[in-house]
Amino acid sequence: MEKRTSSPYPRIDRRIMAAIGITLVIGTALFMWSDRAHDWRYYQYQFRAMVAEKFGDDRAVKIPQGVEQIWVADLSRADRCITCHQATSYKGFENAEQPYRTHPPEPLKQHPVEDFGCTSCHGGQGWAIDTAAAHGEVAHWEEPLLSRSLGEAYTLAGNKNALMQMNCNTCHRYDRVTPGAGAINLAKNLVNEKGCRACHVINGYGGTIGPDLTSVGEKPPEQYDLSRLSGQRTAFAWHVAHFKDPRALTEGTVMPNFNFTTEQAQSLAMLMLSWRRNDVPAKYVAGAPRTDPRSPEELKAEAAMKTGPGGWFVQTGCFVCHSISALGVKSPAQIGPDLSTAVEDVQSRFGLTIDQFLANPTGTMSVVLTRQIVLTPEQKQIAIQKLREAFAEYQRQRGQAVSAGGK
Amino acid sequence: MRLPSIARTKPEAPNVHQEPLWSFRPQSDREAGDAIVSNFMLHWFPAKISKASMSWSYSFWLGTISAALLFLLILSGLPLLFLYVPSVERAYQSVKDIEFVVTFGSWIRAVHRISAHLMVIAVALHLMRVFLTGAYKNGAGRGQQREWNWVIGVVMFLLTLFLSFTGYLLPWDQLAFWAVTVGTNIASSIPMIGPDVRELLIGGRTIEQATLIRFYVLHIIVLPGLLGGLFAYHMWRVRKDGGLARADQEGAFETPRTAAIVPTKTYTLLGVARGTAPTVTVKSLENADTTVNAVPDLVRRAAIATLGTIAIVSIMSVFIASPLEEPANALVTPNPAKAPWYFLWLQEIVTDTTIRIGSFTLNGAFVGGVILPGLLIGLMTVWPWLDRSPRLAGGVWWPRDRRVQNIVFLLIIAGVLVLTFIGMELRGPYWNIYWPWQAWPEIPGRI
Repeated sequence: MEKRTSSPYPRIDRRIMAAIGITLVIGTALFMWSDRAHDWRYYQYQFRAMVAEKFGDDRAVKIPQGVEQIWVADLSRADRCITCHQATSYKGFENAEQPYRTHPPEPLKQHPVEDFGCTSCHGGQGWAIDTAAAHGEVAHWEEPLLSRSLGEAYTLAGNKNALMQMNCNTCHRYDRVTPGAGAINLAKNLVNEKGCRACHVINGYGGTIGPDLTSVGEKPPEQYDLSRLSGQRTAFAWHVAHFKDPRALTEGTVMPNFNFTTEQAQSLAMLMLSWRRNDVPAKYVAGAPRTDPRSPEELKAEAAMKTGPGGWFVQTGCFVCHSISALGVKSPAQIGPDLSTAVEDVQSRFGLTIDQFLANPTGTMSVVLTRQIVLTPEQKQIAIQKLREAFAEYQRQRGQAVSAGGK
Repeated sequence: MRLPSIARTKPEAPNVHQEPLWSFRPQSDREAGDAIVSNFMLHWFPAKISKASMSWSYSFWLGTISAALLFLLILSGLPLLFLYVPSVERAYQSVKDIEFVVTFGSWIRAVHRISAHLMVIAVALHLMRVFLTGAYKNGAGRGQQREWNWVIGVVMFLLTLFLSFTGYLLPWDQLAFWAVTVGTNIASSIPMIGPDVRELLIGGRTIEQATLIRFYVLHIIVLPGLLGGLFAYHMWRVRKDGGLARADQEGAFETPRTAAIVPTKTYTLLGVARGTAPTVTVKSLENADTTVNAVPDLVRRAAIATLGTIAIVSIMSVFIASPLEEPANALVTPNPAKAPWYFLWLQEIVTDTTIRIGSFTLNGAFVGGVILPGLLIGLMTVWPWLDRSPRLAGGVWWPRDRRVQNIVFLLIIAGVLVLTFIGMELRGPYWNIYWPWQAWPEIPGRI
């Protein structure tokens, strides 16, 4: 018999080894299971059953199985939404519950799915295949599905589906009116009506009193000051609250309160978030205007205001808040009194002459004249001169009106 | 169960083994030795091993666990190599695809990530164990150079950290981008050459495509190659030095044989030892009471450590998802921006040594990011030559002769752990302290 060294270890070590073997088998089963456990398998099973019930087994067996995607190379999008939403292009389920509902055909005529995918309009995370991740309701995904339920969470005053219009405006940015995008159209109208460009640059032109809004939608949420915001803490909520009462959110801002309705404020907030730098391939916006279109009448009116007798007030920025109606200057915001009568008006309001007031302004004007529009003493003299001219013109016009009335 | 073996006849000539297969249940010491000689994988092992070295509670098998994790990292890294695209345009997308649609993709990525974190921990613990037991000390054997194997170990530890750090950038998300920003900014605080070091590291002045490809190549070729080579050398040195320091310790209590050296240690079996190879002038290895055959006892325990590590990582990877934040964005700094966790103690020191007097700021990055870690690593590297404790203080836990240095070492480790904890758990936005019961300010969303 050859020499054999006895060992004390096998008894316990073999048991540990067996336990580890079992753990390995369990671990393997677990990761195999975790890779298979996805909701889409259930949804595909359900949809097949629905098709079988409605159209028969022949059509049900033709429904593809497994993960499906729409790959749009031009937009670098791989949208796997159709893995669960299999009915999207399947006629006959127009009134079914999601995810089994047929997509309304109208928008798809202009925007074929194979060119646009799903997420370029709807938002969400196209790469994902599980509901929460795909709908963007997870951490670290900033483009949630712009769904009705999100609209309801924001208690949108108008159309609860309107949030999706933000994505329409990525391509339709320069349209005056985009069919089907009511909220965005409303907001664009307000931008023109209220004269936002008096203070803000939008698409390359406008005043410089406020920040440039051309790509305001790019501003990261982290950079918003939400300390005075109550309720939902998002960039969208901030814009809504800010449009309703700018001073409540930004101390000392000179942005006027336009008394927007909730629907107006929400529409404007959508417009703000839609203004992003988004490189859309040229063929997607073929024929669409590439800059903000302005009609000849608008250009003419603008030129007349700048070069007419009230041109100085336009160039200096007074017209942002004040009309000078006697000189044909119309303020977009009209939050200050008409300056045509300032010579008289200042005297009655403050008990000061216009010279004294401009030398030592009080109230809002003290803020504006120290921060926004800083005038040298020479410029102030010009201002007084111009205000007197405006008052003279006002009196002349009134005299004419009175005499015309007398006749 | 016996492996089928060819007729178990004794070889005619001694030292000539005829069996083409080796047995996991050797019937004799000779058969046990045969396994070592005839199996490629088992040639790492000695034929016999001292029982003391086999103990779970001496080494905690941390080296084996580290090696198992390295093995797992290479194994899980291979499929990732086929799937990941190292370009700033596509890296993030390719990781999303690995997460969402590649079969077993998210599990493989989790295995890779968890193994990487665990390997940093296992290697650090291994290093601590070796220090605390003074295992870098040479024992009774001749030609031992355990101090140099310690130096190699320290380099391997640094390589492990750097491997993990270079892997951090690859997903090209916010976490990656800003952790690397913090890390490379610390490097740029070295006086004179700092900015150049940073430029060399990131391949330019900003973290961009050049950085990504640099980190990628370092991560998949250069650093694993270096680590693999050093790993082989590390193992070879362990064998040359006569196994664990613990084995020396055990033999030392027997009467040393001063006369003829008996080449009892394992190298004679392999025939790789030079003339006076590490031979221990003790009888312990011949003693059946103090040794066991490597096959199957050592093999079984090594398998337990390796397979156990694999089992634990496998199960952890099912339940712990790997994070992937927003795509990297140089214009948006997350608040707070944190370095990888194993560098957080340095980031913490950088903060604490940054002194502001009025508008004047003394940047702590040089002290905390360069001087202090440099000093600690330097001191750690040369420590075997500074440690003057007697030979018998090596290879045992809590030796009285090394009490002071062990306490100082543990205090430093405790300091690092406390700073790491503060950095990980307590630092919030603007690097302010937030206690666990204090909520962080909410991070706003877009919509």
